Amino acid sequence: MKAIQRAFQRLYDVFALIGVAVVGLMLAVICADVVLRNLTNIGIEQSSEIAEYCLYVIALMTAPWLLSQSQHIRIDALVAAVPYPVAWVMEFIADLIGLGVCSTLVWYGAKVTLASQAGHSLVIKSMIFPEWWLFAPLPLAMFLTAVEFLFRAIRLITGERRAGATTANIA
Amino acid sequence: MSYGAALLLLLGGASAMLALSAPVGAAFLAINIIGALQFLGGDAGLSQLVRNMVASVANFTLTPIPLFLAMGEILFHTGVAFRAIEAVERLIQKVPGRLSVVAIVAGTVFSAISGSTIATTALLGTLLLPEMLKRGYEPKMAMGPIIAIGGVDMLIPPSALTVLLGSLASISVSDLLIAGTAPGLVMSVIFVAYILIRAALNPKLAPSDEFVPVHGWERFRPFIIYVVPLVTIFIVVIGSMTAGWATPTESAALGTAATMLVCLAYRSLTWAQLIKSLRGTVAISGAIFFIIIGATTFAQILTFSGATSGVLEWVIGLNLSASALIIGMMVILLILGCFIDQVSMMLITLPFFMPMVHKLGIDEIWFGVLFLICMQFGLLTPPFGLLLFTMKGVAPPHITFNQVAASAMPYLGLGTLVLILVYLWPPFVTWLPAAMGK
Repeated sequence: MKAIQRAFQRLYDVFALIGVAVVGLMLAVICADVVLRNLTNIGIEQSSEIAEYCLYVIALMTAPWLLSQSQHIRIDALVAAVPYPVAWVMEFIADLIGLGVCSTLVWYGAKVTLASQAGHSLVIKSMIFPEWWLFAPLPLAMFLTAVEFLFRAIRLITGERRAGATTANIA
Repeated sequence: MSYGAALLLLLGGASAMLALSAPVGAAFLAINIIGALQFLGGDAGLSQLVRNMVASVANFTLTPIPLFLAMGEILFHTGVAFRAIEAVERLIQKVPGRLSVVAIVAGTVFSAISGSTIATTALLGTLLLPEMLKRGYEPKMAMGPIIAIGGVDMLIPPSALTVLLGSLASISVSDLLIAGTAPGLVMSVIFVAYILIRAALNPKLAPSDEFVPVHGWERFRPFIIYVVPLVTIFIVVIGSMTAGWATPTESAALGTAATMLVCLAYRSLTWAQLIKSLRGTVAISGAIFFIIIGATTFAQILTFSGATSGVLEWVIGLNLSASALIIGMMVILLILGCFIDQVSMMLITLPFFMPMVHKLGIDEIWFGVLFLICMQFGLLTPPFGLLLFTMKGVAPPHITFNQVAASAMPYLGLGTLVLILVYLWPPFVTWLPAAMGK
């Protein structure tokens, strides 16, 4: 089991690095567009759309990685205040909810992707491409996130993870 | 289903899952799935949920979030920000509570080039706090200014959370960013005045240090070398936006590029530091985006279920004045801020608040700034103020959480004065965006 978890962790790390590369790409494309547009009146027409897809890729690529690092935002006020056995049960239920949510989204993500492919739907904005390309990463990312929720629940059962540990937050 | 029952199912369910400590994004998605089954036609609703997930985050107005965060991360990891703070320290001499004043001034400068409140607090806490404690500063006098100015970072552009608020509430992001500047700067000035008065009245709070005054060029040289060039980052962000060369979204990319160029000019940016900075950026951005993925559909389901219009009609039926409603909304935000994070606050309240704002014809920019200030207080209020935890993380082990929380209290009081000022005098925040838009 540990070998499988390590293998998945390596995969998440690769996804996180892709996220890093995507931020770099987004930065380069927008800057190039602004500079070219103001200097030559000819910008990169697709820059906004590329940036939008970059955000989507960042959100999906980082989801399982952040979960494995316990860096997703969560409100752990109550779980930190209750006795440990109660906290354990709460966290276990939370992991099961996450597993259920992600599994549902894998199913419906795949369904929407396949339906879009069968219908030959296109995205027609500044770029034109098959719509299913846009949906396809979602079931994959949700599958990996579901797997990580499962690993978290297992780590809780085996005692490798303590319930109520503080997690990251944002501002 | 009545709107009350829908509200109980959707908000009650979300609250229960959040209380269980499920990741906020997963909790909202879970409620979205239940809501889609109940209110959006089951199977079709779930397919729509998937489509919404893509559309919610593939949104150009959200682009500044990772870019503003990257600016703070790069300045932090390259050490350029540390040198800037040391330069500010050399500039400010012979004032009561000198290092506390340095914290406010340096924090204000850093706020103008970083979009992350955590980065500002962690940076100042790491650099200044040990020195202040070593020189005998009373812990509250040492920590309070750092935590307070970290919160102000949210008001002074660039600010990732302001972009998010503008995007989620459909308020002009550029106007909101500019509108936050005046209250942010006024807070800084009030904080400095407070420190000067407190330290002058009770010198034991901040003993005059053994700082050897530096005169002439040597005093100003580090400031000119390490701070003035950083101002170009702020000028690039605001200047490109107001000159019409770039949209607010694009100006964030130019600001990040300018930050990298400045750090390169200092020969401080290595490949490893860049990757580390972008990794930190991706982590925070990814966590925010995962929540946003659930946000759009949650608001949509609230509307479809009739909960939003039901609440709206109920509130309108109370015949309260617009002023009373705004005060009520602020009280709700202040209470929520004690317990939940800023992104969740926006997700829970905006679907109800914004229709009221539109219905009552309230100025969106003014309301947005009031919202921002209330969220800023949430960073400083116990038991779960994020910046209190950030400070506790960088403070020496003997400093207790209670001491950290107590140190922020006077600044919360001073911030409340600014909140009242904004509430009573809307042009205080609306004139600058209006003037720059002409």
